[in-house]
Amino acid sequence: MRAAIAGYLIFVVVLLGGWELAARLSAVDPDLLPPPAEVGAVLWQFLHDPRFLGDLALTANEVAAAFVIAAPLAVSTGFLLGERLHLAETFNPLVHFILAVPQSIFLPIFILAFGIGFLEKVLFGITHAYFVILINSFAAVRSIPRPLVTAARVFGATRAQIYTRIYLPAMLPLILTGLRLGMIFCIIGVLLAEMYASRRGIGQLIFDWGEGQQIPELLAGIVLISVLTIAVNELMRLAELRLAQFRAAAAAG
Amino acid sequence: MPIIEVSRLVKEFGAGRAPLRALDEVSFAVDKGRFVTLVGPSGCGKSTLLQILAGLTAPTRGEARIEGERVCGPMPGKVGMVFQDPTLLPWKTAFANVEFPLDLRGDDRPARRKRCAALLELVGLAEFADHYPHELSGGMRQRVAIARGLAQDPKLILMDEPFAALDEQTRTRMGHDLLDIWAATGKTVFFITHSLSEAIYLSDAVLVMSPRPGRIIDTIAIDFPRPRELDIIGSAAFGAIRNRIWHLISEAR
Repeated sequence: MRAAIAGYLIFVVVLLGGWELAARLSAVDPDLLPPPAEVGAVLWQFLHDPRFLGDLALTANEVAAAFVIAAPLAVSTGFLLGERLHLAETFNPLVHFILAVPQSIFLPIFILAFGIGFLEKVLFGITHAYFVILINSFAAVRSIPRPLVTAARVFGATRAQIYTRIYLPAMLPLILTGLRLGMIFCIIGVLLAEMYASRRGIGQLIFDWGEGQQIPELLAGIVLISVLTIAVNELMRLAELRLAQFRAAAAAG
Repeated sequence: MPIIEVSRLVKEFGAGRAPLRALDEVSFAVDKGRFVTLVGPSGCGKSTLLQILAGLTAPTRGEARIEGERVCGPMPGKVGMVFQDPTLLPWKTAFANVEFPLDLRGDDRPARRKRCAALLELVGLAEFADHYPHELSGGMRQRVAIARGLAQDPKLILMDEPFAALDEQTRTRMGHDLLDIWAATGKTVFFITHSLSEAIYLSDAVLVMSPRPGRIIDTIAIDFPRPRELDIIGSAAFGAIRNRIWHLISEAR
């Protein structure tokens, strides 16, 4: 853990240092790469700008809505397919088929069908996250060691007890991994939809700044989104490690 | 008085015109408090028989009774089981694993804790109560599984080749200690192994099973006085019994 934190710090220092150095030495056109201090100042302004914060909140709401809808749907269908293998035989090829196709190509269809707005963004986020969570949930069911279930039955476990005492803890690590990846896919889907066509939202701002060559603003947005998504990912990973400590430990030992 | 009564048990796998017969008219009885072992070559149906006794599989014909009650499902509290694979829950400590069957049954906490501490003491793992399965050796894991099998205080313990995955020395030691545990608890043990030495050393009687379809071809009483020392394994009398069983099995082919 300490080594990992040191790794992060070194990364940040090298990144900022390299950036500063490149800007000072004018190694890169200063219009394309303003120094970090300038970008930092823009970012600071953004954080006090209600309009910007409104866009950020909108994007966050879209991501949250997509995740909250996709997660239970995907976990439960993955569970169902894992428990009913004849269903899995029918639907798994379909899932892999859908996963193989880049979903971005369907964005124009989403826009035609649902217009440009909150609903379209959320739906695009849901379809991005759904399959990756489903696959992990399916794998989680299949990863339950059957002998553990047999042993529990001998000791008189009821069906409900088998689900709560064996299934749930055994599935937890893979489900959490699926949810974490699902969250990342949600963010990708929503931002993609915002950048492609949107009236508001952080993705739309980033696209506009790029179009308008407003580099400090663009970089400030990129830094902010990177930091936020990394923070979300790390928090979920921490929960994963906490709740599923045995798995990491068992793998290491 | 017999605790296990098996009469004309037949188990066939696969329906249709040519089902595979695993057990062929198996009948025997085991008296209360005895240590009886079933030996036979791999694939002779030993494990199937044990699964029927544990109530995990239904026989095709015939019946098994435990304490006079016909087996038609697991009998927690009456029958405990130790599997070839320890089947411990990886997310629970040794203590919590032993506690698991009592937890399923809904025993109150103080009673549970007292019993589990005593059981871990009995199997010689008192200091390892807080260790997770992956932190224990194979032999220690199997000791935890034995303590767990005893947790609900069943009169009968079924053991399905519990030491098969252990190295020779650990295996011998475990057998020796199992006899101590058996003597201390007064349980009936029905043990399965393909090791003739293990069977003879441990048991009051050895049931010899033929290759598939499994039939009981003979019952050999083992009269070595108890407590037994490992030295008897090298004795002429021990060798004679071993040879006799060996011939019984090979001639049954």
